Amino acid sequence: MSISGLVIHTHPFQAEAVARKIGAVDGAEIHAATDDGRLVVTLDEPDNAKASDTFVRIQDLDGVLSVSLVYNYFEQQTDEKEAIDDNFQT
Amino acid sequence: MTISRRDFIKTNAALAAAAAVGVTLPAGESALAADDGIRWDKGVCRFCGTGCGELIGVRNDKIVAVQGDPDSPVNKGLNCIKGYFLAKIMYGKDRLTKPLLRMKNGKFDKNGEFAPVSWDQAFDIMAEKWTAAIKKNGPTSIGMFGSGQWTIFEGYAAVKLMKAGLGSNNIDPNARHCMASAVGAFMRAFALDEPMGCYDDLEHADAFVLWGSNMAEMHPILYSRMANTRLTKPGCEVHVMSTFRHRNFDLSDNDIIFTPQTDLVIANYIANYIIQNGAVNKEFMDKHINVNKTTTDIGYGLRPGHPLQKKAKNPNKGKFTKISFDEYAKLVSEYTLEKASKMSGVAPEKLERLAKLYADPNKKVVSFWTMGCNQHTRGVWMNGLIYNIHFLVGKISEPGNGPFSLTGQPSACGTAREVGTFAHRLPADLVVKKEGHRKVAEKIWNIPPGVIPPKPGFHAVLQNRKLKDGKLNAYWVMCTNNLQAAPNMNEEGYPGYRNPKNFIVVSDPYPTVTAMAADLILPTAMWMEKEGAYGNAERRTQFWRQQVSSPGESQSDMWQIVEFSKRLKVDDIWPADVLAKKPEHKGKTLYEVLFANGQVNKFPLSELQPGFQNDESHDFGFYVQKGLFEEYRRFQFEGPKKGHEMAPFETYHKNRGMRWPVIDGKETMWRYREDYDPHVKKGEGVRFYGRKDGRANLIFAPYEPPAESPDKEYDLWLVTGRVLEHWHSGTMTRRVPELYRAFPNAKVYMNPADARARELRCGDEVKLQTRRGELLTRIETRGRNKPPEGMVFIPFFDASQLVNKLTLDATDPLSKEADFKKCACRVVEA
Repeated sequence: MSISGLVIHTHPFQAEAVARKIGAVDGAEIHAATDDGRLVVTLDEPDNAKASDTFVRIQDLDGVLSVSLVYNYFEQQTDEKEAIDDNFQT
Repeated sequence: MTISRRDFIKTNAALAAAAAVGVTLPAGESALAADDGIRWDKGVCRFCGTGCGELIGVRNDKIVAVQGDPDSPVNKGLNCIKGYFLAKIMYGKDRLTKPLLRMKNGKFDKNGEFAPVSWDQAFDIMAEKWTAAIKKNGPTSIGMFGSGQWTIFEGYAAVKLMKAGLGSNNIDPNARHCMASAVGAFMRAFALDEPMGCYDDLEHADAFVLWGSNMAEMHPILYSRMANTRLTKPGCEVHVMSTFRHRNFDLSDNDIIFTPQTDLVIANYIANYIIQNGAVNKEFMDKHINVNKTTTDIGYGLRPGHPLQKKAKNPNKGKFTKISFDEYAKLVSEYTLEKASKMSGVAPEKLERLAKLYADPNKKVVSFWTMGCNQHTRGVWMNGLIYNIHFLVGKISEPGNGPFSLTGQPSACGTAREVGTFAHRLPADLVVKKEGHRKVAEKIWNIPPGVIPPKPGFHAVLQNRKLKDGKLNAYWVMCTNNLQAAPNMNEEGYPGYRNPKNFIVVSDPYPTVTAMAADLILPTAMWMEKEGAYGNAERRTQFWRQQVSSPGESQSDMWQIVEFSKRLKVDDIWPADVLAKKPEHKGKTLYEVLFANGQVNKFPLSELQPGFQNDESHDFGFYVQKGLFEEYRRFQFEGPKKGHEMAPFETYHKNRGMRWPVIDGKETMWRYREDYDPHVKKGEGVRFYGRKDGRANLIFAPYEPPAESPDKEYDLWLVTGRVLEHWHSGTMTRRVPELYRAFPNAKVYMNPADARARELRCGDEVKLQTRRGELLTRIETRGRNKPPEGMVFIPFFDASQLVNKLTLDATDPLSKEADFKKCACRVVEA
C-alpha cells in the first residue's frame, strides 16, 4: 500500500481542466484548490508500480507545471524482510 | 490493514499537502499528532543542492515514511519526486555489507575475483599500498577522490587525513565536475566563494533569468517557488536560455535557444546594451567595482600534447589586468545586437527584451545558472560575464536582485567548497599555495611546517590522467561514481583504474560501475545511517542525527577515514626533517596526531543526544562529529578570511539550519550589504570585503570557440545531462523501483527532422558515436527535451549506457571543470 499527499502546480487558466483529468484517475482524490492554480491531491495506490505510473502520468498532463510530494506512507504487509526483497527488486 | 487506518493515513497525507500551500481542510488537524509507533525527527534530503528539509519517520530501526518538513524554510513541506522516494534509497537489494577484495588463491590479485575480507584485512592491504607508494614515489603518488555528498564532518576528516597527515594535496571532489567554474569566478570577482543572495530572492524578485539551468527537473522545489512568484506577482517574468527546449520553457515568457558557446556573446551584448542605453549605475560602479580584462586564447585544459593545447597562445592563464571603464565599453561594443543574433541564432527582439530587463532600474532580477554555465570550456569566464551584467546595473546583494549559482549536490557548498576538499584549497577559502594560509592550517592542526605541500595536487580530470600514466598509484574513491561520471572514460578513466601499477579502493553503499572497476570495495553506511551535516546552495548549514543502523558490516566514510589513520605512522609518512620540527609526534600514528589529539576528541560521549545512535562516536569513544566541527570552526574565526563564520555545533541540531556568516547567533541573508551582513559597517552601504579595497572585479572576457564542434564526419552536437527521476549517475535512484520504472533507461533525444533525415523513427535502436567511443541507445523524438536540429541530448544516469565513453575531457583551463555539454557526435542505425 502506498498513500501520498501531493501539491500540483498548474497554470491557473488550466487548473480546472487539470483537476478534471486528475479526478478521473483511479486512486487520486482532490481535497482543495487554491485561486492561484495549486491543487491538493492524495494518491491511494495498491502497489508501487501503479503509484509510479500515476505519478508520471500526472506530471505529463498539459497545464501541469510541477508536482511536489509532501507526504508518503508505505507499508509492507507481510514479513518485512521478504516484502523488502520484493519491493526493491530492480 | 483496516479501512479506518487507511483513511487516517490518507487524512494525514491530505493535511500535510494542504498545509504546504496554506490551505486548511475541514478534516481537522489532530490526525498528525496521533501515535502510530513512528519516531519522527528532522533530516535533510540526500539529493540535489537545494537542501530540502525532511521529516524522517522510523519504526523498528527502518525508515518507513518521509515527509517534506513543513518547518523547513527551504521547501516549506514540499518534496520533488526524488525526495518522495528518499526512504527507499538505503534499501536496494544489492547493498554492500562486507569489504570485497580482488583475490586469486587467497591473495590479492588485480585480475582476481571479488571475495569478502574483514575490515582488518582491507586496512592492512591499504596501509601496505599507501606506505609503499609514498616510500617509492612520494606523496604525489597517493590520492583521494571525494564528494559533494560527503557530510561536512567526513569532508573535513578527509582533507585533514590527506593534507595534514599524508602530506598530499591530491584530494579533489566530484564537485570539480559540477561547480568548479562557479568557484573560480567567485574567487576572481569577490575573493570569497558562494552566492551573496538566498532562496528568499525567489519571492522578492520581479523577474528571473535562467542561463543554462533546467531547474524544473533538477531543482524542482526552487522551480515551484519561482513558478509561484511568476503566477502570483503581477508583471513577473521568466526568461529561459538554453541550447535546447526543456520543461522550464513551460513557464517561460521569453524562450531563448542559442547555439552552444554563444552565451558568451549574449552576455557581452547585454553589457553593451546597458552601456549604449545609458543604463549603467555609475555610482555603484565607481564605488564598488574594479574593471579588468582577462588573458585570452587559453586552450582547453587537454593534455599538453593535444593539438588544441599546442595551438593556444596562453594555455591555462587566468591573469587579468585593470582597464578603464571606457576601454571596457570599447571591448564590449563589438557585441552588437546584430552580431549577437547572428552568432547565437536567437531572434533580435528576444535578445533585446532580455537586455532591457536587466537595464530596467525598476525590475529586480535574479539570474540562476547551473551546469550550462559551469560545464563549459569558458565556464569561469561565463560565470564572470553574468556578474558583469549585475555589476553594471548595481543589481546585487539585496532582496530580489542578484546572480545566483545553484549547485547539484547536497553539500557541494558545505563540504567540497567550504571545507576545501579541492586539490588547491584548505578549509574556509584558504589555499595551499599561500604560505600564510598554510601556517594557519599547521597551527590549528598542530603539525610541523612542511607537511602541507605548497603545490596544488591533481584535480579530478588530472587524477584520471595520472592514473593512466602510472603516476598515481594508491587511490581512494569515496561517495561518488566517478568512473561513470568523469569525461572520456574509454581513453582515461578505465585504463587508469585497471593500470597494474595502481591499487584502487572504492567506498560505496552499492556496486557502482566505479566500485566494480576497483581492487578493493569498502561497504558504506549512508545518509540517515550516520549523524551528518550538509551545506546547501544558499549557505545554509543543516544537521541530522543518526536515525537507523547500517546493514551488515558497512561503516560510514568518516569511520573509514579515521579508522584507516590508525594504520599509518608519521615516521613512515613525513620526511625526517619535517618530523624533527615537531619531535613530540615521533612514533605516533596519524590517528593520534589528527584525531585523538586532545582537540578532536575532547567532547565526551555524554554529550550525545539520548535516544539516538551514533555508531562512529561509540566506536572511537568520543563525540567525533562535534570534535571535527568545532576544530573546523577555528579556521572560520582564526583564519585570515572573515565571512565564513558558523554557529556552535549544538545550535544546528536545534534549528532548521542557518545561513553563514553567523555572528552573535544571527544568520546572514544577503552578503556584502549593510543591515544584512554584520561584516559591513554602518554607512558603508555595500562592501565586497573579500578584498582589502572592498571592491569586486568586473572582468571582461570575449567569445572563444568550443573545443570540438560538429563537422562533416560527426555532424551533431552532443549534450549530456540529467532527468527529473534520476540523480546523477543513478546509484540511488535506479534502486528505487518507482523511479526505475518511471525512467528505466537513458535515451537520446533528437529533433524529428534529424531523425527523418537519417530514416530513423522514435524508439529505434541506434548507435551514438563520437571520436572516443560508441553506445547503443534508443531515439526519443517526442519527449520532454526537444533539441533543435543539429543537436542531441542524452542523460548519463544509466550504467548500461555509459555516456562518458563518448565525452571529451576538455576542461575550462582555469577551473579544470569538464565541458559535458559540447562535443561532436553522430547517430547511425544500430
